Amino acid sequence: MIQILIQGLLLSGLYALIAIGFTLIFSVGRVLNLAYGVNLMLGGYAYFWVSQTLGMPKLVGVAAGAGIGILFGIAIHRLIVKPLKSDPVPVEIATLILAVVMQAGVVLIFGDASKILLPIVEGNWRVAGVSVTANRLAAALISWVILIGLYFFIRKTHVGRAISAVSMDVKGAALSGINPDRINTITWGLSGALGGLAGVFFASVTQLYAGMWVAPLIIAVAVVIVGGIGSIWGTLIVAHIIGFMEVITASFMPEIRGVVTMLLIIGVLVMMPKGLFGRGEL
Amino acid sequence: MAFLEIDNLSAFYGRAQSLHDVSFDVAQGEIVAVIGTNGAGKSTLMDSIIGMVKNTGAIRLEGADLVGRGSAEIVRMGVGYAPERAHLFPFMAIEDNLLVGGYTARDDIGRNLAHVHELFPVLKERATQETSTLSGGERQMVSVGRALMTSPRLLLVDEPTIGLSPKVCTEIAATLRRLNQEDGLTILITEQNINFAMSLATHVHVLETGHLRVSGTPEELMADDELNKAYFGT
Repeated sequence: MIQILIQGLLLSGLYALIAIGFTLIFSVGRVLNLAYGVNLMLGGYAYFWVSQTLGMPKLVGVAAGAGIGILFGIAIHRLIVKPLKSDPVPVEIATLILAVVMQAGVVLIFGDASKILLPIVEGNWRVAGVSVTANRLAAALISWVILIGLYFFIRKTHVGRAISAVSMDVKGAALSGINPDRINTITWGLSGALGGLAGVFFASVTQLYAGMWVAPLIIAVAVVIVGGIGSIWGTLIVAHIIGFMEVITASFMPEIRGVVTMLLIIGVLVMMPKGLFGRGEL
Repeated sequence: MAFLEIDNLSAFYGRAQSLHDVSFDVAQGEIVAVIGTNGAGKSTLMDSIIGMVKNTGAIRLEGADLVGRGSAEIVRMGVGYAPERAHLFPFMAIEDNLLVGGYTARDDIGRNLAHVHELFPVLKERATQETSTLSGGERQMVSVGRALMTSPRLLLVDEPTIGLSPKVCTEIAATLRRLNQEDGLTILITEQNINFAMSLATHVHVLETGHLRVSGTPEELMADDELNKAYFGT
């Protein structure tokens, strides 16, 4: 029982970090960025290349993961979303195709065999009698720190409030002197950074391979659909629902792990199209 | 040189033209009203001034042309705008809505916020309440308050009384008059409520299907038989 609780908490923290960048884009730009998983993949590979291939300090690798996420996020906004005028269906088709193309690109450069990331933090810890790797614990803790930081950034800074304002009423934001286009660019960069960071930790607790963009994308889509156009709190709560569901099914029926999440997506779509917390808040 | 000069302004939504060669001036420290029915082009006029509609002609604020500039820049130049239907941020607290208004005028936030609270004490009492739960009158207060947070020299208010009770209309009128007289703020309003506009403004312009039909002081317009027939049925 305590095992499930701890594993659930650790997994959910990471899931919340994975989903939050995707939710940000959906709230502000009203489009689903189906290439979001690529941010995680690029983040993971950037970390691998910088810290394991080049042998630079791990912190530089983590920064490279966030950095490439920022570049990729802003590039999608400039080169795909803006020319398509944020029209949701064409953006979704284009970003999904882009994800497949990026996967092929990563295979070309790094090959299609999975890579093993060395733990970012080494060792084992015992938490309430349960043994967990320090790496997994660090991933969850750092996720929490980033999420709390993001919460205060959105609530307490001018740019954060502007992101929130654009997500709720673009005209109201513009006549307050905010340039919605610039805020969109900032949001895509921020989302990319969060995705890239999430990718470093996700890859370090799972594995690094060119198809690794799919699983986080499903998690992120699930959180947005189940949570509704989410508040940060809604995203946290739903990430925990999904995280715990996965840990519980993995403990009792490992064969159907992941399936439950997908069934939950369909169930919520049919029964509560607005999601559990859907109201358009950021 | 007038404070605000609107010169042969035509505005377009796609191919549809909704303003036709509109010209008028607003002097500094004046309250000017543009009246007209639904669809006359009042909101288009306001949206044009703030840079949200494609247009031709000239809109000059103290000689500087606003046409072709983005809204953010026009706000920085000193134009505050309380639009029709308010366009508030529904799931943000009142205080946060006002703080978003201070996005460009960050150095003045403390002073502006105190001034807004003094004008509308209820916005201070309910600072943490979400604006989606407010009444129409309160929403209008937040909207005007948010516009004041931009440190405007020209305040645009689009249909301030729409859907509001007579009592609230009187309060809004008193506040706008106070802003004009005590702070010297130049105000341009649009209205369907002719009596409200006439009681407040020193100059009134009548807009009909995108054309400026007649202009004058409230007294002059009251004396216009044709206009009286059209708007008051007398």
